[in-house]
This record gives sequence, C-alpha cells and structure tokens, in this order.
Amino acid sequence: MSAAFSLYQSRDSGLHRLNPLTKMTIALSGVATSLIVSGVWGNYLLFLLILVPLSAWGQITYSFLRAVFRVVWPFAISIFLIQGLFWTDGTPVIDLGPLSFKAEGLLFAVISVGRILLLVGSFTLMTMSTRPDALMIALNQRGLPHTLSYVVLSAIQIVPMFQAKANKIVEAQQSRGLETSGNLLKRVRALLPLVEPLLLGSILDIEERAIALEARGFGRRVKPTSLLILKDPVWEKILRWAIVALVLALLAVRIWLW
Amino acid sequence: MKIQLESVSFTYPGGVEALRDIDLFIKSGDAVAFIGENGAGKSTLAKQLNGLLKPSYGRVFVGDWQTSNRSVAQMAGRVGFVFQNPDEQLFARSVREEVAFGPRNLGREEYTISEDVEMALKQVGLDRAINRHPYDLPTPERKLLTIAAILAMRTPVVILDEPTMGQDAQGIARIGRIVSDLKAEGRTVITISHDIDFCAEHFPRVIVLSSGRIVADGVPSEVYYQESMLENAGVIPPQIARLSINLGLPSGALTDQEFIQIYKEHR
Repeated sequence: MSAAFSLYQSRDSGLHRLNPLTKMTIALSGVATSLIVSGVWGNYLLFLLILVPLSAWGQITYSFLRAVFRVVWPFAISIFLIQGLFWTDGTPVIDLGPLSFKAEGLLFAVISVGRILLLVGSFTLMTMSTRPDALMIALNQRGLPHTLSYVVLSAIQIVPMFQAKANKIVEAQQSRGLETSGNLLKRVRALLPLVEPLLLGSILDIEERAIALEARGFGRRVKPTSLLILKDPVWEKILRWAIVALVLALLAVRIWLW
Repeated sequence: MKIQLESVSFTYPGGVEALRDIDLFIKSGDAVAFIGENGAGKSTLAKQLNGLLKPSYGRVFVGDWQTSNRSVAQMAGRVGFVFQNPDEQLFARSVREEVAFGPRNLGREEYTISEDVEMALKQVGLDRAINRHPYDLPTPERKLLTIAAILAMRTPVVILDEPTMGQDAQGIARIGRIVSDLKAEGRTVITISHDIDFCAEHFPRVIVLSSGRIVADGVPSEVYYQESMLENAGVIPPQIARLSINLGLPSGALTDQEFIQIYKEHR
C-alpha cells in the first residue's frame, strides 16, 4: 500500500525506525493520559516535554506542530467562546456588552483544549512517522484480521486522499469559470459542483479498489506473507509494557486521589 | 489569442523546481503539443496559462491579460482547460446541464447557451446523449463530455490534457477532427500528451520539456528526428520517424504517405 496519500513524512530517524506497535502504544497512552491527567497545565506540559521532543527526534517538528495546530485551533476557539461566554453562575472577568467571559468557563476551556492537544498530537505523531503499510503488517502480526487492518488504514488515509482529490476538483471547476471565493452566497453556490464529483468519484474509486483487491486474492483465507520485515527488539517490547504500566499507575493515582 | 511567457520559473511550495526560465511565444491560432516524460513540467506549464498556477518569477500573458492579476474564473473566459480525469469535474444531473455549466459561469445568455451546448455535443458525437446522466456514460464518453464542456465555452485558447487517454481508434480520430475544427476556427490549441503519434499528426508545433526547461521547439518533421535530444528527454519518437531513422532515410516523414514517397525516392 502506498504511503503517498497518508500524512506520513519519510525521514531517516530513530522515531521512524521504531516498531509501529511502539508508536501506537505511545499514541494510545497519550489518549488515555489526556483523560487521566488532572490540573490545568498537565496536558500542555506532556505535549511540550514528550511529544515535541519526540517530533524533533523524528525530524518532523515543524510539520508536526503545523498539522496539530491546524486541527486544534478551530476547536480551541469554539470551546473558549462557548465555555467562556455561556458558563452559568461563573465569576465575570471580561465584559463584552450583555455577555461576559467567566473565570470558571475559561479554566474549563484551558483544560479541555489541553486534552484535545495531547490527543490530536499523539495520533498525529504516530501517523506522520509510521508508514501505513508497516502499521498494517504489525497489526496483522498481532492477529488482527487483514480485512480489519485494511479498514483501519483506509480510515487513516482517507483525509489526505480526499484533500488531493478535492484540490483537483477545485482546479477543474475553477477552470470552467466557477468562483470559489467571495461572499457566503457564492461559496454556498460553489459547493454542489465541488462536493458531487468528490462523492461520486470516491464511490467509483472504492468500487474499483474493491474489485482490484478481490482480483488480487485479498479475500483468500490464508495468512498473507510480507516483503517488509519489521524489527521488534526486546528493549522496545519492554518499553511498550513500561508505558502501559505507567499509564495504569497514573490511573491508579488518579482514582486514589479522587 | 497570443500567449507569451517571459522568463517564467515556478517552484512548488514543497520546493520542487518545476519550471526554469521559460521564454515562449504562441501566436494566435497555433496548435502546439507539449511533450516530455512525467515530471518534465508539461502540466505545470499548462496550468500557468489559465492562472491555476502563478509564476514564482517572470510573467505570463494571455492576450493582454497578465495571469498574475486575474482569477482562474476570469481566465476561464479566455483559456478552456480539459482535465485528464473526467470524474474530477462531472457533477450535473444531465449531459446538457454539465455542458451548460461553463457558459453559465461566463454569464452567457440562455439562448446562446442552448446553441453552444448542442454544437459542442454534436462536435464530440454525444448529441444523442443530451438528456442522459453523465455517470451513465462509459469513461471514454465521459472524457468526450468534458471536452464538450470546454468547447461550449468558446474560449479562444483550448488546452487538452491527455485527450486520447482511454480512447479507442474511433475516439482518437474524433478528437483529431475536433482539433482540426478548432484550428480551422482560428483558436489556439495546446495539448499535453504522451500519445506521440497523435501529436505528430495533428500539432504542427512541438515543444519538448525536460526537467522544467524547453529543450526543443519546432516543427514535428525536425523535432521528432532529433534522436539523442528525445532520448535525453525520455521521449520515444513516432513510429514513422523511428522506421525512417532505422532505414537510414532522410528525416521529414510523419505520415504513411510521406514515408512511402521518401522511401520510393531513396530506395
């Protein structure tokens, strides 16, 4: 499976050479930790002290930060506005006419955005440093049916694929005189000629891909072999279990402190 | 409508230098083929002409319009661009609506649109399919439909990206006739194609690109016989030219008749 349509960024780095399962463990532990960690700045600290150095190790810091912030900032703005302005019975700190930002709402927004940051960052780091086909093979080797791992990978790849396809559609329709910029009405009018080929084209792609997969024996009930040999040294196995143990310990402490 | 490129260079945001210092003049009514291996810069050059890409350095003029100062939608009134993959643009419920989309965006009157739609569909041989859904047509006909969608816009410049891809002999012949009609109407026709025999037959000017530069620009009877230049550019000459070269005949033949005549004179 090609890496051309995923977020994967090819580098010769230690992070890239890690077994995909190790990176998946880091990503999943990031998700769990984002929900476990209490305190206002805990998740931000984890992002800065763990994910950013890991991205530097993987030589992808700039593209990693850009990808994460592009996803997080719309959530951050809406959370700050909604929680800050509509928190009931809070302490007003900034007045905006009839509305006011409440201290408690803002605090909740800071905590929520920190959670989203760590969650999105964890998965982005894994996606940008792991070849999709390597991840699929690693999952298959752990007993996941290859049809299911294909579904997982398709889900990972679908956004960049849609983006590439959407760019081509925008170019084609602009070349036929379609205005895609301007006021809201113009943009709404431009939607149908953009969305319909995207959906219909994608359905055709899926059909063709399914036929091509079947024609190449994808549905056979045998254990598929692989050209790609994944290294999984003992220290990585120990590292994975250590990460899991650490997350469980954090959970235990959190429950104990509750 | 004339096209002029002055010292045009273009680098993609990722850092790939796709065009390097291109100077080019295409006079009104010219029929030009851009050829070269994948990644040579053919599509990037063509996209400069309708403003989809703006030069990183240099200037591109279509008529008296500089593309950097115009939106793609504005440029669409002068340059029609037929894309390679029909499924990346078809969206309407009927063939008629699909073809009318472009002229409507250009603000044409409804009565002229009907005429233009019918004319364009007749030209590509889809006039009987006018009320069908575009996705009910087979892929080669969908490609012809995208050509009709651009023909109906009556732009003075028409760019065809891989027009013969997926077409059978009849389809290729039909596209050849469309190119001839456009030339007869005095419209500038540009194609990007790997179908070298099609280019040799229908395009009296050939521009060979390699690594973002123009390495040859001339008439097919000369360009297609420059074996080493074409080899360096990753292009295989047309069959007739290869046969002539292998038989040691003088250059110039591009059609069967020309070949037979030269063969008779020199055997």
